[in-house]
Amino acid sequence: MLTVVTSSPEETGSLAQVLADLAEPGDVLVLVGGLGAGKTAFSKAYGEALGVTEPMTSPTFTLAREYQGRFSLHHLDVYRLEQMVEVLDLDLPELLDSGGVVLIEWGDMILPMLPADYLEVRFTFGDGDDDRSIDLTCVGPRWSGREARIAGACSRCFPTSTDTGDASC
Amino acid sequence: MLGIESATAQVGVAVGGHEGVLASAHSACDRRHAENLTPQIEFVCQQAGISMKEISVVAVDIGPGLFTGLRVGIAAAMAVAYGLGVPMIGVSSLDLGAFAAAQSRRLIMPCYDARRGEVFTASYRAVPGGVQRISDPSVSTPDELAAELVALSQDVLMLGDGAERYLEVFGVLGNVEFAGANLNYPSARSLVELAHPKAMREEFVSPSDIDPLYIRLPDAEINWKTRDNS
Repeated sequence: MLTVVTSSPEETGSLAQVLADLAEPGDVLVLVGGLGAGKTAFSKAYGEALGVTEPMTSPTFTLAREYQGRFSLHHLDVYRLEQMVEVLDLDLPELLDSGGVVLIEWGDMILPMLPADYLEVRFTFGDGDDDRSIDLTCVGPRWSGREARIAGACSRCFPTSTDTGDASC
Repeated sequence: MLGIESATAQVGVAVGGHEGVLASAHSACDRRHAENLTPQIEFVCQQAGISMKEISVVAVDIGPGLFTGLRVGIAAAMAVAYGLGVPMIGVSSLDLGAFAAAQSRRLIMPCYDARRGEVFTASYRAVPGGVQRISDPSVSTPDELAAELVALSQDVLMLGDGAERYLEVFGVLGNVEFAGANLNYPSARSLVELAHPKAMREEFVSPSDIDPLYIRLPDAEINWKTRDNS
């Protein structure tokens, strides 16, 4: 697991940019954290870095939105769902098979429905209002193979980032 | 009878009755199910020389398959049935695939691409007048399925876009033959042919009872302690 500490929405945006630069078709990012933790802000910065030009809005009520960037970007939010089976209606397998990149807000709530490979981005509040600790956890072979590159890119941008080398990947 | 089939990359519509299939239309333009379905319904009715009001039952493919397509096809079929006040018949995509190969003496295994490295499958054998399913529909990886096929002592006929996509996995098995790309998708013609005897036996369901076949139905509620506390 890799931990990055940010102290402003802009810095969180920089992390999103670092990760977007490493994006590959079929990627899934699971965004975890309470209300206001920065999931949507992260998503917007990620989309911008991916070349999305139209304004991105929160998908909480629409469940899913699609944007066009370097890849098609699917921004999902499962916060309004009640049953696991409803996740099927979001078409995750098809979105991934068609070469899109998928961001899932509250994705940790639907673990049984997630694909085998994803990057978990977990936001925790810090001491200051804008302080966030962001844990990146690689899940599955697709992501564990890229952990070193992610760690390298993060440490260039965030010299204080720490790689616990956790074998959770 | 109107038949709507949209479980795979293809969307198909057919009309028919006691005299068999009168007209059908199929298109397989990626993710254009919603755009193509209604014009295809109009087209087949026109070609068959019937008006929508003459339809007395709507048959629909309930999957398993791709959700984008299934959603469009099932919603449209339910809308037509509700609008006309007629009953429905739901048929599995795998039944349709097997039915199209009913002349084979081999074990018939339709295999449709579930995306993300998985396929939907079930096994059938030919019986007089059609096919009989002998294993439940399931979803598995091609490797898991290949392992099961190896263990079979029977000759197998595989068909469907899933079989074609993973032909390098299945094709090397000595007991497996691929039916050919012409059977890659279930057809609306098969749907009308297969649903007709069911209609004769009045095996109808009401539109509200038509459910897509999800196979791995996760029968659980999302545990929202976090949301409900905040």
